[in-house]
Amino acid sequence: MIRATDLTEQGLLRRITAGDEEAFTFLYRRKHPAIYRFALHMSGNPAMAEDVTQEVFLTLIRDAKRFDPARGTLGAFLFGVTRNHLRKRWEQEGRSVPLPEDETDLSSLVSRNGAPSSNGSGAGHAWDAFDSLETTGRVRQAIASLPENYREVVILCELEEMDYEEAATALDCPVGTVRSRLHRARALLLEKLRETHRPAVPRPSAASK
Amino acid sequence: MHIDCTQFENVLADLDRPGTQGAALRESALAHAESCSRCADLLNESESLDFSLRSLAAHDANREAPARVEAAVLQRFRQEKGFAARRKLRWQFSILGAAAAALLALGLALHHGSPPSQGPAASSSGADESDNAAAFTLLPYADDPATVNEGAVVRVVLSSSALASLGVPVTNLADTDRIPADLVVSADGTPQAIRLVSQVN
Repeated sequence: MIRATDLTEQGLLRRITAGDEEAFTFLYRRKHPAIYRFALHMSGNPAMAEDVTQEVFLTLIRDAKRFDPARGTLGAFLFGVTRNHLRKRWEQEGRSVPLPEDETDLSSLVSRNGAPSSNGSGAGHAWDAFDSLETTGRVRQAIASLPENYREVVILCELEEMDYEEAATALDCPVGTVRSRLHRARALLLEKLRETHRPAVPRPSAASK
Repeated sequence: MHIDCTQFENVLADLDRPGTQGAALRESALAHAESCSRCADLLNESESLDFSLRSLAAHDANREAPARVEAAVLQRFRQEKGFAARRKLRWQFSILGAAAAALLALGLALHHGSPPSQGPAASSSGADESDNAAAFTLLPYADDPATVNEGAVVRVVLSSSALASLGVPVTNLADTDRIPADLVVSADGTPQAIRLVSQVN
């Protein structure tokens, strides 16, 4: 019998429909982090992101046949389902303002990157960690403040590195719409980041790319 | 290929995006930025934004739902698929049972040398389905042979003399012997055909 790891997405779905738990577990572990991150960035609410992730995979259990490979990838399909569940939750609960998570817990990041030593030789690590935290915190906040239709294209196309076609399938809109929304979203992000006190990021020279 | 500022701004966000017009015009865009300070600033800002977004993506790369979500989802998977599997198994057993019954009936019919369709279609007595497997014998005075296939079947217990009166040859039976038999009767209650139960069992 072919192992789940060797199967295509369609093969996995066939096995899942037939009740193969190994195939389902494999697919869940491969796909759920991106689904969870999308739900988290969109909602700003870890509890809602967990619930929505769960709902997305329950939908897959109950109705895997809804996925049509002719219309796009399984990833795009799952993002589309995630988006629908998020909207349903927002309608039920009233839309909450996304709250970026606390990025100021420097000690936890420093310990992950290597704790500074008492003679100060780790000071560079600590500063790098702080700089990185501040950058990610500010960008996360800027993304969270975008209107929903801009936020979702930034998350899919920039953070999850989807191409325009796949994002268009997930968002159920034309490729041109994804592209124009992303361009507008980037302009808005730049405006928001310019407004902040410190420069958003060290600016590499144009020739460095 | 030379591009102007408008074209530059149009492709700026796609310079690093494979398969887009921006990627195709990347070299031209960079060449334009070297000769245009305004577009050079725009390029700097865009690259800074790319860097920030990549930092955030890298920071969140290992972020995933807690293990409890996987546990809950797997539990539901087992419930849903277990129920579906049990339902499928029950259906398969039903089909198997029906097939076995049909085979048994066919086997009995073949064993008794006549197909089940030769018996009467209707049955109002205690005669069971397997009884229909044996052929009925028309009684000498039967006035409606078609009744054999259409009349009601009545199970009776007859004395040897009663059998004789119906025209059934009786040998080696005492007068007191009681013989179970199925009678096919017409609508007016007249016996048309008979089958001895001993022939069936």
